Amino acid sequence: MTPAISVTGLARKYRDHTALDDINIAVGAGTITGLLGRNGAGKTTLLRILAGQEFPSSGSVRVLGAPPAENEDVLRRLVFVREDQAYPDIKAGQALRAASWFYPSWDSALASSLLDDFGVRANRRIKQLSRGQRSALGITIGLAARAEVTLFDEPYAGLDAVARQIFYNRLLADFAEFPRTVLLSTHLIDEAAALFEGVIVIDRGRVVLDAAADVLRGVATRVSGPGLAVDALAEGRPVWERRRLGSQASVVMVGPLSPDDRAQARSSGLDLTPLSLQQIVVQAAAGVLAPVPETERTSA
Amino acid sequence: MNTWVKVARYHLVRPASYLTLPLLLPFAFAVGAVTARHSHEAAGYLLSFFLYFAILGVQTIGRSLPFGLTLGASRRSFYFGTALLGMALALVSGLVLTALQAIERATGGWGLSMRFFRVTYLLNGPWYVTWLTSFVGLSALFVYGMWYGIVNHRWGPLGTLAFIAAQVLVVVAGARVVSFEHWHVFSSARGSSAGLTALGLTGIVAALTVLLLASGHATIRRATV
Repeated sequence: MTPAISVTGLARKYRDHTALDDINIAVGAGTITGLLGRNGAGKTTLLRILAGQEFPSSGSVRVLGAPPAENEDVLRRLVFVREDQAYPDIKAGQALRAASWFYPSWDSALASSLLDDFGVRANRRIKQLSRGQRSALGITIGLAARAEVTLFDEPYAGLDAVARQIFYNRLLADFAEFPRTVLLSTHLIDEAAALFEGVIVIDRGRVVLDAAADVLRGVATRVSGPGLAVDALAEGRPVWERRRLGSQASVVMVGPLSPDDRAQARSSGLDLTPLSLQQIVVQAAAGVLAPVPETERTSA
Repeated sequence: MNTWVKVARYHLVRPASYLTLPLLLPFAFAVGAVTARHSHEAAGYLLSFFLYFAILGVQTIGRSLPFGLTLGASRRSFYFGTALLGMALALVSGLVLTALQAIERATGGWGLSMRFFRVTYLLNGPWYVTWLTSFVGLSALFVYGMWYGIVNHRWGPLGTLAFIAAQVLVVVAGARVVSFEHWHVFSSARGSSAGLTALGLTGIVAALTVLLLASGHATIRRATV
């Protein structure tokens, strides 16, 4: 699959710190990929560089086959929705009208419908909107633009659970009808996990995990129960984490469990819980995650 | 639609700043009319209209750049689209000033012997020179304001202060050089500056505008949002 986004050896250094260091990623066209990591990990810097709003110190960035910076052939096919978007002192409807001039595939009906769903009035000044409503406006622009590459940076800050669900539903529905490449940065990992085909985790400016979401869903299991039975099952196998409380123990075992393993666990009274994506990301950010085999990575 | 035109339209989506222009002129004129009863000379108040163009230039960057880039405009298109808007406004405003100057002449200074649109030396010639000089002057101030806006966006208030200080130094140094070399640029020849007609001065300001335009573009090229 041809990557819609291809980054090689990317670094962004500021005077006193390195925001991104040797980033190498490839995001396939027509996929939804989660860009995950802790605060300050470098996600926003990466997205800003992809959107041509920031410049790399070194390395190569290609979006839709070309460098995005100052390249309107790319920029008009790309939309970037950021949490901290600054708007001029205009009304929500005026922002949408301006956006409609710039994006060739803009869908005005979708924009109006989304504003209605989110309860944002088009004639309200943006500076009078709540944080959640501003996020809703950004999401509306991001979806209605129908850009080939859609970058979301924490797009739903301040949105309540109902509004977030509206976002997930509308994103999936529109994506199914008009496939595009979506890179979504979020802290609400488990909530958005079902959307992702691929996951990229950044920590302290470096990619610590780049894998298909399906691979990650079965990559580790928490085994808990009587200490002796846990130790017996985990013996000789890679383990990320061990906890012991009295006679009870819990470990996170890496790799898929065989039917025999499951039968042994059942007979020993052990609980088996697959690690959620959020827990895997936590492990990745903590640096204890074993590298995902090359064959299982999202291919370029 | 060309991206420059889209950028110009994007600025106009918020018309309040631009609607101030037709309001500012009658206000300055009214103040001038009151004071002209004593001196008949009120052209100084017209300066406020010109200075507002510089303010507009500053505003177009500070308020609109981040969302403009988010909409997919390149810095280059945003910059030249904004400058295009400023120059279009300057062109129309220059035409309005020219028409009002003609009326002022025809009515003997609005019946008050008042000089508001006839600025000694600068805007006091044939209609086409008035139009051209107004257009070039207003454009220069708009572009100059844009450059300030970009500097402020990139380096904040301290950077802007340094920018002002650097320009003051350049002007002071220039004045010293001129006085040292006894370059009599400004003399009383033909009642104008050093034989420099308003049209000649307009040419110099036009060249300066091109220089300002290039400097602003060089400054915005590495701006980030």
